[in-house]
Amino acid sequence: MSAELAPETTAEAVPRGRAVRRALGRYLRHPGLSLGLFVLVLLSFVAIAAPWLAPHGPTEADLMNTLAHPSGDYVLGTDQYGRDILSRLIWGARISLEVALAVVALSLTFGSLIGAIAGYAGGWLERTMMMGNDILLAFPGFLLALALVAARGSSLENVILAVSIAYTPRVAAVMRSVVITIRPRPFIEASRAIGMSSSRVLLRHVLPNALPPVIVVTTVSAATAILAEAGLSFLGLGVQPPTATWGNIISDGQGFITSNPLISLSAGLCIAITVIALNLLGDGLRDTLDPQMRRYTGERML
Amino acid sequence: MKPPADARSGGGEPLLRVEGLSKTFHDRRLFSRAGGAGVRAVDSVSFSLAAGETLGVVGETGSGKSTLGRLVLRLVEPSAGRIRFNGEDITALSQRQLRRMRQQVQMIFQDPYGSLDPRMSVGAIVAEPMIVHGLWHGGRDDRVLEVMRQVGLQAEHRNRYPHEFSGGQRQRIGIARAMALQPKLLVLDEPVSALDVSIQAQIINLLRELQQQADLGFLFIAHDLAVVRHVSNRVAVMYLGEIVEIGPRDALYSSPMHPYTVSLLSAVPVPTVDRERGRDRVVLHGEIGSATNLPSGCRFHPRCYKARLKAENPDVETVESQGERLPAACVLHQPRPVDAGDGHVAICHFPERGGDRSEVAVRAVESSRGAG
Repeated sequence: MSAELAPETTAEAVPRGRAVRRALGRYLRHPGLSLGLFVLVLLSFVAIAAPWLAPHGPTEADLMNTLAHPSGDYVLGTDQYGRDILSRLIWGARISLEVALAVVALSLTFGSLIGAIAGYAGGWLERTMMMGNDILLAFPGFLLALALVAARGSSLENVILAVSIAYTPRVAAVMRSVVITIRPRPFIEASRAIGMSSSRVLLRHVLPNALPPVIVVTTVSAATAILAEAGLSFLGLGVQPPTATWGNIISDGQGFITSNPLISLSAGLCIAITVIALNLLGDGLRDTLDPQMRRYTGERML
Repeated sequence: MKPPADARSGGGEPLLRVEGLSKTFHDRRLFSRAGGAGVRAVDSVSFSLAAGETLGVVGETGSGKSTLGRLVLRLVEPSAGRIRFNGEDITALSQRQLRRMRQQVQMIFQDPYGSLDPRMSVGAIVAEPMIVHGLWHGGRDDRVLEVMRQVGLQAEHRNRYPHEFSGGQRQRIGIARAMALQPKLLVLDEPVSALDVSIQAQIINLLRELQQQADLGFLFIAHDLAVVRHVSNRVAVMYLGEIVEIGPRDALYSSPMHPYTVSLLSAVPVPTVDRERGRDRVVLHGEIGSATNLPSGCRFHPRCYKARLKAENPDVETVESQGERLPAACVLHQPRPVDAGDGHVAICHFPERGGDRSEVAVRAVESSRGAG
């Protein structure tokens, strides 16, 4: 028997190392994906190394040098309290990425669990859960976060919580629709046939197969989380000054937008670059994770 | 081949006994007509299966044979009837007891591509049933390798993923997964119909080896009569949810009683070109009927050649049905079982037997002899 099998095997199976390298190459060849990934890795490095990279402390005021224009000492100038803009931007990257990461972790965990249970259970449970989900979806995400922060007071934790609650229903809706397409596939029935319980089938087979499209959605929602944090901070409802966040910097600079436009603009640019990088990453993941999209990869970008 | 089952299951309880098993699917939508008839996918099916025996189930698409297989595992809940496995009534088991029962009854699926989780390695796929049933106490690697070797997979395959294998190899993985629990009964739902003919033979030989080693009972569901003839001890023919004929393989293939069986036999391709050209097929009239709206009387009468032959006989009372004259019995009354002995039973008003055997049946048997 095994002698007959040998030729079949060598013809069909690809050595494992080569398959991994091929997969990696596929991700890195996608121009949007690699660009987005590069920018985000750079930003993460800046955020982690902030204490060593920043030339000044984020709240260190030089009252002799308020609203200074760019110079050798203050590369991007200072704000009305004489704080170095570049240092504040570097420290602000920490808050923004922290919010993005925490929101992704929270909304991915709860959203995918809610969506998966609803989609897998079906029946009245699905209908009730999705009704609640749709009600939350009907609120504009930012408005919901605004109301929650207004009710609970403004702090970094509350901003994260509020934005997560606003974005969890989006993840849940996507998760449910993916799970509905996986539920009728034969390997799910096969798992039941070997005597697996429903919860086990859900965790071991449904979730892992449903995750790729959901990861794409959460990548894009990380971008909206950064925007939401900046927006809340700008309105004074987010992380409180004098902590350096990109939203606070824009807010600080708005009074001097004509005389010192660099304060608000530089922070705005940071937000824009991060959001674009996250969107590129999301699009890239969508293209490379879905086998049916793979062959278009690159063609469209070039 | 083993002797026919009836000789073996002389005393004691058979491995599997199914009595009056039915499944009706209802339209569960909110605004559907209340009290609709529903789809009668399986209708009062009874049979038994001994250890080490293979019961082949054949029928067209829509005959309910796949639903029957799922009912036996209770992957689909029966609407009525009893399933006794090893003497134990499994229709009344709770979900927890049911999961334990599934250790002994396993299923092989038709689609070797879809029935394996694409994100799990072969080793994990084979080990999973043992983990689920608490038979995994570490160091069971040897058991995984043993099962893999048993089905003709090599040890180094364990770290690969299903998409790296051909259809035949994947079906071996599916068989390894089922065999990992050392079941007593295998439900095989079209196990080879998705495979190349050359691979079909390998898989069938493998299944037969496994059956002989462990005295497994096989419920072998297929639409290919030649394959079923090759593997079965007994054969059941299903039409619109009903077993219309059941019997020992040789009796059923050499003297089929039900006109539907005759029609299926005459449709089996014959390997010799000359004979293939020279034979006439019994053309089935129309498509398989709808299980929502079953025909009155005998459910095969709208497609039956024998009813049409009989209607030409002036002695037979006929009625007008769908613009044709057909025997009144066929159109109006449910046929009763006709027993030819040795467990060979068909439900038909005018079975093909004795002096009533039509020319069509004789030729169908003759032409199918070359096949399989």
